[in-house]
Amino acid sequence: MTTEFLRPIDGLHLAEEYRGLLRPGESEAGTDGAVHPLPRFFYEIGSWEQAHEIRLTPHFTLAELMLVDCREARLLLSQFPHYVPCAILLLARFLEDFRREVDAPVFISANGAYRSPAHQIGGAKSIHAWGTAANIYRVGDTYLSDSRSIQKYRTIAASLGPAVFVRPFGREKGQTSDHLHIDLGYVRLTPRECGEAS
Amino acid sequence: MSSADVSNGLHEELEALALRNRARAIGVALHDLETGLRFSLRGDRWFHAASTIKVAVLLAVFRAADEGRYRLDDSLHVRNRFFSAADEAPFRLSQDRDATPELYAAIGRTAKISSLAHAMICGSSNLATNLLLEFVGVEYSRAVLREAQVEGVELRRGVEDHGAHEQGINNEATADGLLSLLSAIRSDFLTAQSKGEVIRILLEQRFNSMIPAGLPPHATVAHKTGEISTACHDIGIVYLPEREPYITAILTEFDPDTEGRRETVAAISEAIYRSLLRTDQ
Repeated sequence: MTTEFLRPIDGLHLAEEYRGLLRPGESEAGTDGAVHPLPRFFYEIGSWEQAHEIRLTPHFTLAELMLVDCREARLLLSQFPHYVPCAILLLARFLEDFRREVDAPVFISANGAYRSPAHQIGGAKSIHAWGTAANIYRVGDTYLSDSRSIQKYRTIAASLGPAVFVRPFGREKGQTSDHLHIDLGYVRLTPRECGEAS
Repeated sequence: MSSADVSNGLHEELEALALRNRARAIGVALHDLETGLRFSLRGDRWFHAASTIKVAVLLAVFRAADEGRYRLDDSLHVRNRFFSAADEAPFRLSQDRDATPELYAAIGRTAKISSLAHAMICGSSNLATNLLLEFVGVEYSRAVLREAQVEGVELRRGVEDHGAHEQGINNEATADGLLSLLSAIRSDFLTAQSKGEVIRILLEQRFNSMIPAGLPPHATVAHKTGEISTACHDIGIVYLPEREPYITAILTEFDPDTEGRRETVAAISEAIYRSLLRTDQ
């Protein structure tokens, strides 16, 4: 199954219980104080089987980019449908480019790609709520858990475009020591068939 | 033989045993559910809890599940990065010191909470322990101990937190405290289903060279060991088909590199068993 089966949904039309968790289009101040509107348009995923079958790019399935643990809101964890921001397509495309550069399988950690604004880690302040960030914990056989490996792949990721942000290695806030964090910024994607009017 | 006679005899035997085996200190607590006998030899002395503290984490994990905070078949992100109780500096566990290499293979992915609880006790996995403790929280776990009226068990941090150790922040316990922890597990503090599951996990303990080694083959023991450089402990509930179970906590302290530590705990276990046989007669 490929992306042609993805059906975009306007989050504002979702049931109230989902809107309360996904907060489509609501403004949220990030950790730096800057305000950004949360994603409004989502793809609806009917089951885990479907998520595994949907290949966003040759080497990345949707399932890899929506794996979360029980810190996610219960409704978004154990029941389907699930919803992922449409911008996840851009993340997958970037990851495919990254994979081509490193010429090895790229592994995204649990909680490491899309997390809803209701997720206990970071919540709506985390850029992961935009579906445009990924935590890479392993490239090929290399676990990214030291300065050398993280700096090496950080340089490669940063070389793929000016909009790519990669956290440096370190143990302070804003740094990473057991994965490589990359993100594409607060990108929101409006599918061609959707309109912005409320 | 009267309970008082048994207690006096056991007291003397254990003191002699500790001396003979060059133990720096021992603390032993016993509650026999068959006769009601309670025995405590320096049961209020504090020891480094070592891995016996994992039983306190186990109680908190199941209590939180009973409260509906999560389900035991929920999954947790497996990650080898924790924060020190001393200064919140990140630290990592050493795979070489963990008996559950399979859990390290899951780093980056997820593991079920029930599987982590099993690995924490049966394989004494430090990684599973820190993942679970970070998830439920130290403060919550301490609150659970208070609620269960467990005194004499001080849970302050995860394991292998060397930064905290250097600042004297350690998990500590007394034999009486750990006995009350096992008693809480046997009580109605947890739901019947959780209690059954906790005891089943303790029964599947992989390290059996201490309390079980001092018992006849038909005994089964729901227990947890704990060893660091100077401490060697085992705490458990002993089941014998011919009688009601007994609960015991055996804590020992030795100079580093002293040999025969586990054998000492096993000998104490055997002495306890023999003394209880005398009360049965």
